[in-house]
Amino acid sequence: MANGSEFDRRRFLQVTGLAALGGALVACGGGGGGGAPAPTQAAPPGTFTPPSTSLSGALSLLMWSHFVPAHDAWFDPWVKDWGSKVGVAVTVDHINYAELPARTQAEIQAKQGHDLILHIAPVPQYEPSVLDLTDVVTEAEKRHGTQLDLCRRSSVNPTTRKFFAYAPAWVPDPGDYRQSLWAPVGLANGPASWDDLLRGGAEIKRTQGVQLGVGMSQEIDSNMAGRALLWSYGASIQNEAEEVVLNSPETVEAVAFMSRLYQQAMTPEVFSWNAASNNQGLAAGQLSYILNSISAWRTSQETDPETAHDIFFTAPLRGPADARAASHVMYNWIVPNHATNPAAAKEFLLHYTANLDVVAWQSKLYDFPAYPDVVPDLKKWLDADPFGAQPPGKLALLGDAVSWSTNVGYPGTANTAEGEVFATFVIPNMFARAARGEVSAQQAVADAEAQVTPIFDNWRARGLIGTGGR
Amino acid sequence: MTGPGGAPPAATRPAGPAAERERPAPTRYRRRLTDRDGALAWLFLAPAVVYILALVGVPFLLAVAFSFSDVTGGDPSFDWTGLQNFGRVFADPVFWRALRNTLVFTALSMVFIVLFGKVLANVLIADFRGRWLVRFLVLLPWTTPVALSTITWLWMLDSVFSPIDWVLRQVGLIQANMFYLGRPTLAMASVIAVHVWRLVPLAAVIMMAGLLSIPKDVQEQALVDGAGYWRRMVEITIPLTAPVIAISALFGAIFTFTDMTVVYVLTRGGPTNETQVLASWAFFRGIEGGDVGQGAAIALFLFPLLLAAAIAILRAVRRMEVS
Repeated sequence: MANGSEFDRRRFLQVTGLAALGGALVACGGGGGGGAPAPTQAAPPGTFTPPSTSLSGALSLLMWSHFVPAHDAWFDPWVKDWGSKVGVAVTVDHINYAELPARTQAEIQAKQGHDLILHIAPVPQYEPSVLDLTDVVTEAEKRHGTQLDLCRRSSVNPTTRKFFAYAPAWVPDPGDYRQSLWAPVGLANGPASWDDLLRGGAEIKRTQGVQLGVGMSQEIDSNMAGRALLWSYGASIQNEAEEVVLNSPETVEAVAFMSRLYQQAMTPEVFSWNAASNNQGLAAGQLSYILNSISAWRTSQETDPETAHDIFFTAPLRGPADARAASHVMYNWIVPNHATNPAAAKEFLLHYTANLDVVAWQSKLYDFPAYPDVVPDLKKWLDADPFGAQPPGKLALLGDAVSWSTNVGYPGTANTAEGEVFATFVIPNMFARAARGEVSAQQAVADAEAQVTPIFDNWRARGLIGTGGR
Repeated sequence: MTGPGGAPPAATRPAGPAAERERPAPTRYRRRLTDRDGALAWLFLAPAVVYILALVGVPFLLAVAFSFSDVTGGDPSFDWTGLQNFGRVFADPVFWRALRNTLVFTALSMVFIVLFGKVLANVLIADFRGRWLVRFLVLLPWTTPVALSTITWLWMLDSVFSPIDWVLRQVGLIQANMFYLGRPTLAMASVIAVHVWRLVPLAAVIMMAGLLSIPKDVQEQALVDGAGYWRRMVEITIPLTAPVIAISALFGAIFTFTDMTVVYVLTRGGPTNETQVLASWAFFRGIEGGDVGQGAAIALFLFPLLLAAAIAILRAVRRMEVS
């Protein structure tokens, strides 16, 4: 009997083990949605202008791992090819975007490292340790026309008049929604206003059991979403003179609205999100609406085409005062003071700018140009997506994204104080505390102001932001 | 037969002072050095001392200096600012919450680590088939890199796709997801649970060594005298392993107190800074926010608290050993 029992147990383990192995193999080999749709047009050819001065030596780049992986697969050989044409040996290192601040600061402290570093948000805090790139901006404008205002305001310090970074590209931040969920509530084209979002989102949650997701967590998308809501109510953290104006009736109204939105249309998951959570929830059909770029949808095109067909985009939601969204990504290239080959770094930035049409194409229309004249076909591409959008005009609304997008720090510029407020999640926490009922909307705003004011005072004392007329 | 210091036999070499003079200097030096215990001790200790000075001492002094300066992530130039950074840290309510959380997380984790470590150690010293496999598996959480294991927990505790929620829903214990990382109390419990999960194996192994060192005859005598399991546990096992338990508690406390990975990966200090700890807040302020001086001031608060805890526990251990 004992032997029989042991045999049975052994057999059981063998069978379950084999089943698990088989399942794992099937999981590894199967799945997927048949890969990315092939582009319907040829990629732009790109251009090369020989540098005005002869270059030599080495050039090292540090940049993020792009959210659209195809971009990096194209970029690395492309920049090395440019290097071979101009006589510069180029190396490129990609790291997770979240690790860029620590890595950059370590290199600045050590006074050695990469010649050129790409950040995906404004980095005014590095101003004392980076080269002024006014000459690059001037030359780029001479060749390609005026730089977009939101890019300029994300890379220049109006107090010191220094371009602490060069911002040749950016990424819009539309709303993303599942049409199959919104059509039954009479909003097949998605919500157009925050009130639509509240009404439709609440009804979808009540009738279809699917919540919406406007983050209130300690991560980047929640930061962007909170600012969009503030601006739409006519509120902001600072004014144009870089004075703190957060504690206003408009802010209190926006916070009270977010509390209603949370109570009627969301769940506590929005307090726990990381940067990928809202993408995952939308793709899984667990969220009816999020604020994000097109990258998650592009991924869905490859992994789950049916879901991708059901995801559509909206312009920023209209509030009582405005309809405005922050840029989802703002490219900030910096050349640290310790760079050993700044001439090659600046020349590469001009080459990159001249090829923004190729950049936009290779990022599958994720990256938008700061110099629109360089990408004359952008509107045509957005109207009829060459990368297989169903329907093809799904991205057409991004054609006028410039008009409704702005910089972090609006209506002022992106400065060091705004950067620290962003990094310490004051805004999403302000919304979250009121939404959870921890404090009233008025108190949440007052507490947030108490955190923001010393941050501004600190950077003002260092001369890196304006004195606000004082 | 060899001469003093390992010299060859006298017959094969000239003896006396002349021979001493002819001996090659390096060899003589080496032999003298090998005979000097004090010098050898320092020689062998040197790598560890250099390592600690370079990788612990220098960064520590640097942090002290930064905390009195206006150094930022973008401006390494040093300007003395006195106690300004500390003043701003004290005025920040998030700092006080982080300090409180650090103490709470450490104290609760320590209790559970010691408790579960003791239970697990008892299991591990039991004689059963596959004991070595079980010991290996139990150690895995400790040997897995903390970032990797915490990412696994991040998935386990996911607000939408948590397998724990799925199981609880299937057995009918819950109707809707728990949102472990979205509710302050559950988020704090999650952080503590992950700390306990990863540190219990270490505590168990330390305590296992302590249990194995108790002479068997002491336990056997108590057994013959009619002492039951709990009496032997309370009057023999725990007193004899108390120093080892204290050491494992100290390790647990230090690893929990100084860790920011679990909080950073699981919650990034959220929701609304409810799980923020000193280490993570120092990182957010100093590195992500760019105010290195203030970040250093926050981080320095770890030092006196840790030092006091370490001294208290080590003194307690010494008293126990003496008694």
